[in-house]
Amino acid sequence: MRVLCHMVFLVLSGFFFAAYADEPLYTVVDGNKVDAETLKGFKAWRAAACDRCHGANQQGLVGPSLIERLKILTRDEFVKTVTEGRLEKGMPSFKTSKMVMSNIDQLYAYLKGRSDGAITKSKVEAMQ
Amino acid sequence: MRLKFCYLAVPLVMLAVTGVAQANSDVEKKIADPANWAMQAGDMYNQRYSKLNQINAKNVGKMQVAWTFSTGVLRGHEGSPLVIGDMMYLHSAFPNKVFAMDLNTQTIKWKYEPKQDPAVIPQMCCDTVNRGLAYAEGKVFLQQADSMLVALDAKSGKVVWSVKNGDPSLGAVNTNAPHVFKDKVITGISGGEWGVRGYISAYNINTGDMVWRGYSVGPDDEMLIDPNTTTTWKDGKVQPVGADSSLSTWQEDQWKIGGGTTWGWYSYDKALNLMYYGTGNPSTWNPAQRPGDNKWSMSIWARDVDTGKVKWVYQMTPYDEWDFDGINEMILADIPVKGKMTKALVHFDRNGFGYTLDRTSGALLVAQKFDPAVNWATHVDMKTGRPQVVSKYSTAQNGPDKNSKGICPAALGSKDQQPASFNPSTGLFYVPTNHVCMDYEPFAVEYVAGQPYVGATLAMYPAPGGKNMGNFITWDAGTGKIVQSHGEKFSVWSGALTTAGGIACYGTLEGYLKCVDAKDINKELYKFKTPSGIIGNVFTYQHKGKQFIGVFSGIGGWAGIGLAAGLEKDADGLGAVGGYKELSNYTDLGGSLTVFALPPK
Repeated sequence: MRVLCHMVFLVLSGFFFAAYADEPLYTVVDGNKVDAETLKGFKAWRAAACDRCHGANQQGLVGPSLIERLKILTRDEFVKTVTEGRLEKGMPSFKTSKMVMSNIDQLYAYLKGRSDGAITKSKVEAMQ
Repeated sequence: MRLKFCYLAVPLVMLAVTGVAQANSDVEKKIADPANWAMQAGDMYNQRYSKLNQINAKNVGKMQVAWTFSTGVLRGHEGSPLVIGDMMYLHSAFPNKVFAMDLNTQTIKWKYEPKQDPAVIPQMCCDTVNRGLAYAEGKVFLQQADSMLVALDAKSGKVVWSVKNGDPSLGAVNTNAPHVFKDKVITGISGGEWGVRGYISAYNINTGDMVWRGYSVGPDDEMLIDPNTTTTWKDGKVQPVGADSSLSTWQEDQWKIGGGTTWGWYSYDKALNLMYYGTGNPSTWNPAQRPGDNKWSMSIWARDVDTGKVKWVYQMTPYDEWDFDGINEMILADIPVKGKMTKALVHFDRNGFGYTLDRTSGALLVAQKFDPAVNWATHVDMKTGRPQVVSKYSTAQNGPDKNSKGICPAALGSKDQQPASFNPSTGLFYVPTNHVCMDYEPFAVEYVAGQPYVGATLAMYPAPGGKNMGNFITWDAGTGKIVQSHGEKFSVWSGALTTAGGIACYGTLEGYLKCVDAKDINKELYKFKTPSGIIGNVFTYQHKGKQFIGVFSGIGGWAGIGLAAGLEKDADGLGAVGGYKELSNYTDLGGSLTVFALPPK
């Protein structure tokens, strides 16, 4: 909740950005062009094959919709869930995945952008 | 004393010898009696045909539900129960419960529920299914998800032996049913999406000792391939495979994480002493990372059941670019092929081609599309045995980070594991199929032990031109032609049954058990809505003189995964499994068995 409260959304001529304190969480143009860090988050999402359970558009399959869950989970809860997994429910632990663990903030930023509706397409590319 | 010992020893040795011989004849005897359903396919040929005819084309319309049973487990229920005499043995999806039910009293005689590490759950690709049990000589065999193969005493449910078949921490888990051939229980492995190097293993049914293990890829000796005596189809004839037939088709050590898993249904020809099965996709799904034919992933295998030695092998999809897993069942049937009676092997592959081979030699006889939507290849070159790939649909030629669109079939194939049936009285194969296409975008992925190793993003949707995502078809394997096609709204993900009563039965994802006229499958003779979508296989048995037809319902599996959590709206139009979204209007989770019979006279 606190994270949400601290967050500010700005719309500047097709420019979306979400700020956490002074640092923007992600920057997106035209719905699918993102900053370099958020792009890393998308690449981590893809490499870890999250889409197999959460759907290619994060809409939920055997795993829950991340569009919805990221509205509820705090950043700390998100990190804990990804790191340790929720094995009984089928969520693996990504503790041993360097790709995921070293990009966990970026992954959070990407998914938050999807959940906020600011990133309108699941597949993103680098902004110029 | 000494003499006495000698006298004792002789009958003991004889007993041991006959014990081994009986292992085969026990199952044979049980499958010969159509009152039983003693193997997952009803027999060793994978025919899924029953001689029972009490329920037939004339009276099946009057069929009613006789009894039902809940397994108490959500998620997908594949396979079917077994029936041996007065006992029925049922299994469930993870946690892989086993129930022994006395059919006389309909009471649970014993129940077994293994303790398994929940870490296995997220490692099971495409739902936590289990495809059922095997039976032989008073033992029930369960292949647990965590790779433990367990023999249970059929009378008490007590564990007789158990053996670890894989390393689940690396993603080597199990979904397949074990199969008993002779005195061995044969089992495979899953984990092609975790970079597991596939293998098939034979264990002694009495002790659980491993007798042999044959890998799908790698050095000749580890595959149990003899370069001189193991043959394959090359240049229009059967020829020895030659040395390093697998190693030479991989770059460096990629084969060590090269896939070729083995989670389908196996068959056995006693006269040839050969068992048949298929191997799955090479790992990863990004073809750019594994140039070469990736032998012997995506292949049909014939192994000597006693030694595991490979008699012949044929690769259907060299250098897979679409996840056309080759694990679907091999059906053995003696049929005319192009006018000549043939000991045939018939296989409906994920890649959309129906193959007929000479099962004695591995000669390729027929390879034709069993869904007209198939577009990734124009045809199979009968001389080389290779599919002729269409560049537009080649995810390798288009390259990583490029989305190849409109590929038919989708990764789940024109047919997945749901087994077909052969009806000897019509000479036709009754095949549950998918009619689904996809977009496929491969990307570079790094291997991390125990982590998913996929490397492609997919979107699946109904094939163009039609609203149906599935068909129930009849197929002439001698000519490679569709005889009839009966459209279904969703993929037909349920194993078919045909009987001497002139009917063919299958389940649908909406949850209907349907029986059609075997001579005209467009004539629906019976349908009943079971509690959940059906991905289980239809089976039949006779008890106290009365025939029953049964099927597990319990939606799940790859086609049904979208239901498990409830789909959200598709944000970008085409969602993965988007086409199946509407399924939630028809059904929800829940594993149960529904058994049908004719009403009392």
